[in-house]
Parts: sequence; structure tokens; C-alpha cells
Amino acid sequence: MNNIWVATLLTIRETFSRKIFILFAGVSTLVLLLFGILFISVSAENFPVVGTDIQISGMDIGSEISKAIKLFIVNPLYGLGIFLAIFSVSSIIPQMLEKGNIDLLLSKPISRTQLILGKFFGGNIVVLANLTYLIFSLWLMIGIKFGDWDLTFLWSIVIITFVFAVLYAMIILIGIISNSSILAMMISYLILLILSPILANREFFYQLFESKIAEFFIDGLYYFIPKTAEISNIISEINVGMGIEDFQPILSSFAFLILNIALSIIIFSKKDY
Amino acid sequence: MINAIEVNNLTKIYNPKSKNAVTALSDFSLTVEIGKIFGLLGPNGAGKTTLIKILLGIVFQNSGNAKILEEDISNYKVRTRIGYLPENHKFPNYLNGEDLLKYYAKLSGYNENDLSKRIDELLALVKMNKWRKTKVKKYSKGMLQRIGLAQALIHNPDLIFLDEPTDGVDPIGRKEIRDILISLKNEGKTIFVNSHLLSEVELISDRVAILNNGKLIKEGSVEEFTTQKEVYEVKLNKEFDSDLITNLLISYEIFEFKKESFKVKVKDETELDKITDLLRQHDLGIRNLNNIKTSLEDIFINLINKN
Repeated sequence: MNNIWVATLLTIRETFSRKIFILFAGVSTLVLLLFGILFISVSAENFPVVGTDIQISGMDIGSEISKAIKLFIVNPLYGLGIFLAIFSVSSIIPQMLEKGNIDLLLSKPISRTQLILGKFFGGNIVVLANLTYLIFSLWLMIGIKFGDWDLTFLWSIVIITFVFAVLYAMIILIGIISNSSILAMMISYLILLILSPILANREFFYQLFESKIAEFFIDGLYYFIPKTAEISNIISEINVGMGIEDFQPILSSFAFLILNIALSIIIFSKKDY
Repeated sequence: MINAIEVNNLTKIYNPKSKNAVTALSDFSLTVEIGKIFGLLGPNGAGKTTLIKILLGIVFQNSGNAKILEEDISNYKVRTRIGYLPENHKFPNYLNGEDLLKYYAKLSGYNENDLSKRIDELLALVKMNKWRKTKVKKYSKGMLQRIGLAQALIHNPDLIFLDEPTDGVDPIGRKEIRDILISLKNEGKTIFVNSHLLSEVELISDRVAILNNGKLIKEGSVEEFTTQKEVYEVKLNKEFDSDLITNLLISYEIFEFKKESFKVKVKDETELDKITDLLRQHDLGIRNLNNIKTSLEDIFINLINKN
């Protein structure tokens, strides 16, 4: 356990030293600044609520506007957060595997399993820290501006970090197999931006192919691939106070995470460097 | 006698199922005694680095087994007692020298309270104190080797593997590294050195092994390697006529005549006694009789060529 903690701490330190992480933190700060300026310069009553049909009445005005703002920002925040997080950690494994570096790491009294788990936890902690900085600060600003201190918005931190963890587990596996950060990033973005949104609406394809085999294949792909699009909807639902209706997207994505980490450990433990 | 390293019949074939299979080690066995400096020599691709990598769990053998400090190499915990400086190492370039040592101390499981003191000692030992706050990415090759050596020693290991430790280091630096290795040996540490610089290995090693194409060609003490038991230089106390000596010692192989000396090849010491008796009988007094030594480099080249 101590070894995993050491590897985690060293991964955190390594990630903090990267320019890409500074960019990640910089973009978060920029988003906060924009909202800060907006909140300071526009009064609560005059606040523009885009794309919502909120009935503003009496005492609920602050709460309703803040809910609308949260809904308005949570999906872009989800996309941006995951996008930047993937970008900032995708090279952790290829860099670890660089000749001269991996020799030194493997010669230390730390098992390969501990090393992989340390890299996994370290990357997640860094992203959790950055998302906490961004989302907690936004929650604080909304609370100050509109007096809405509803904690459900903070669940976005946990859920976005979870989605990142699922994709990061896959990034680790691809990194170990291919030693390529670009391939790992491409596949992650493919799932995040294309496959998961398409498979979330797979009924359309059933009609398109009209074949049981195609349906079976599409279903298999749907259950196998992380459900980033559906989890994005879960965040929105939580923020409007609906709660989680279907846990399947979270559970199947978690299974994907476990599978990827297990495969990473097995492959890494057998490879020559 | 406790062995620091015991290697039994190790075989390593890279890509064994493909057409491009490469045998890096073939049925290789070796023992290294504790408290000695052991030099492993061999041309490029001989399998030297593969051997170290197998011993450290970086590469896995196809067959055979090995023990380090009486523990099977599959037990990663034994590496708390091992230091390693790889060839072409790559350190995290965002760290400075001091932080680099802290980083590897943590990875090596060094949890002592005296880490700062240990870092001070090691930076002084490898003469890197001045650059302790400089980022590693600004270090020269020689400086990287020095800090790399400190990194290998940070957790006070009992066994140290060094792969080309003086690569890129200037002659003065090389001498300093040699002195460090000798003082470590005097502290009871075992040092395993891979090097192309045969003269350096000759200067510091107690025992040497030559590896070629994954096979052990010869192993022995440096003395055994470099002393040619059968060749002697005979120095006489006056100038002599080479024809006289040639006729006198006609049944022996004589060569390299100089003013007052020549070399002779004998089968054993009895033959040598006979030669000295013959010379004395002809009033040729012997001033000096030296057993000729050959450099490790000559021996190495001869053995590799023969192999």
C-alpha cells in the first residue's frame, strides 16, 4: 500500500510539472474569471437565462436562475473538463515507458502492479483537484451571487472524475500496448465525442440495418464502451434535482474501468523493457 | 561463502516465436562473491545489459534461474538492497539534483530520517553539491553520470549494478568514480560493472567475465587474465650477442631481443630453471626475471576473435 502511495505521489508531482497541466489549470481559471466578471457586472434580476423557460417569480428568482445557469454550464463543463483532463494525462504512460526511465523504475522495490495503480490514482487525483478547483469555485460564486447553496452541483466533480477515470484506465492500457499517447487520446476522444453519443441512440441503427446480427453487435458495443454521453445526461438530471434513474451506464462503465486496469496490469507484468 | 549473485543456466531469447528471434543469453551461469567488484565485458550485443535487466526484473528469462543476495530475482522486495545505474538513463527533467535523489530515495523505499544528510553526503561524494539546485535537464552527460551514481547509492544498497558508469565522464571524473567504487568495496558492498572501457575494469575489478553472443567465454581474476604464465622477460647484467643466446637456447622459443634483454616462452618453471642454469654456465648473469603481463584489452580482443 505504501508503494502505491509513493507511486501516486510521484505521479502527482510529475503531472503538476507538465505545461499541459498548467494549461488545464489556466483554462479553468479563465472560465472562473469569465463567470466572475459576468456575475459582478450583471445583477441577479437582469441575468440572461439562455434556452430555458423558467418562470421567474417572487422569492425563487435566485434559486431558479442559479439552477438555469448550472444547467447551462454543466454540459460544456463536462466536455471541457474531460477533454482537457485526457489531454493532460495521456502521455503519463508513454513517458513512464521511455527507455532509460522504465529501467530505473522497474529496478526499484516496487511491483509493476503497484506502479500501474500509482499512475492511475495519481492521474485521477490531479484531475479531481483541478475539477474541484473549477466546479467548487463556480458553486461558490453562484452561491454568493444567487444565494443558492444546493450541494447537488458538487456531484459534478465526482461524476466527471469518474468518467475521466474510466477513460484514463483505457488510456493506460493503450499506452502500455502501443506506447503512444496520440493513439490513446484519439481513441478516448472517439469514444467521448462520437461512439458514446451515437450508441446512446442505438435504436436508430436497429431500424437502419434491420438485422438481428447487427442489433446484437451494436448492443454488444453499447454495453462494452463507456457511456460518457449518458453519464453527461445523468449530471444534468442530478442538477435539476431528478436523481439517478438508471445506474446501468455507471455500472457498465465501471466494469470497463476494472477490465482495462486488470488488462493493463497483466500485460505490463509480462512485458520486457 | 555467500554469493551476491548466483545465475544458473539463464537463457533469454527475444521474439522467440518470430523469424527475427535473437538469443541474448544462452545457458549462462555465473556467481559473484559478496564484497567484490565484478567486471562483465563483452562486445556490443553480447548480452551484458540483458543479464543485468533479468537480474533486476526488467526483462524476463525464458529459462534458468537466478538469485540476488540469496533471494530469487522474482521477489521485487530484494531490490531495496540493490542500486542500479543504467546505460542511457533518463531522469525526470523537471527535478533538480537534490529533488532527484529524494525522488529515487522514495522509490527505493528509503524511509530514514537522515535523508537530507544522506543527500548532502552523496552530492559531496560525486562532486555535485554546486549543482544541487540546478534542473537535471541542464546537466552535461558527465554530470548526469555523477548524479546517476548518487541515485544508485541513495538508499545505501549492498549490491550495485553499474552499466557503463563512466560513459561521457572526463578522465579526472573517471578516476574519481573509480575511487568511489573502490571505497564502496572497502565498505563491503558488491559492485557489478558492465563496461567497454577495459582498462578501467582492469584497474578496479577483482574478477572479470567475458561474454560473447550470450555465452560466457572466460571468467577469472584480473590477475589470471592478464598474467601470461609462460612468457618471461630475461634481463642480463651485460650486453650480449643474440646469436650466442639463440644457439644456446635453441630448443626454446626466444624473441624480442634488446641490448640486455630478451623474452622466452617456457612450458613450466622447470624449463625456466634450466634456462637460467644454462645462462649462468656461460657467464651470463641474470639481473632480472619478469613474468610478462598482457593488458586485459589484448586478452579480450584475442578471446573475442578466437570465439
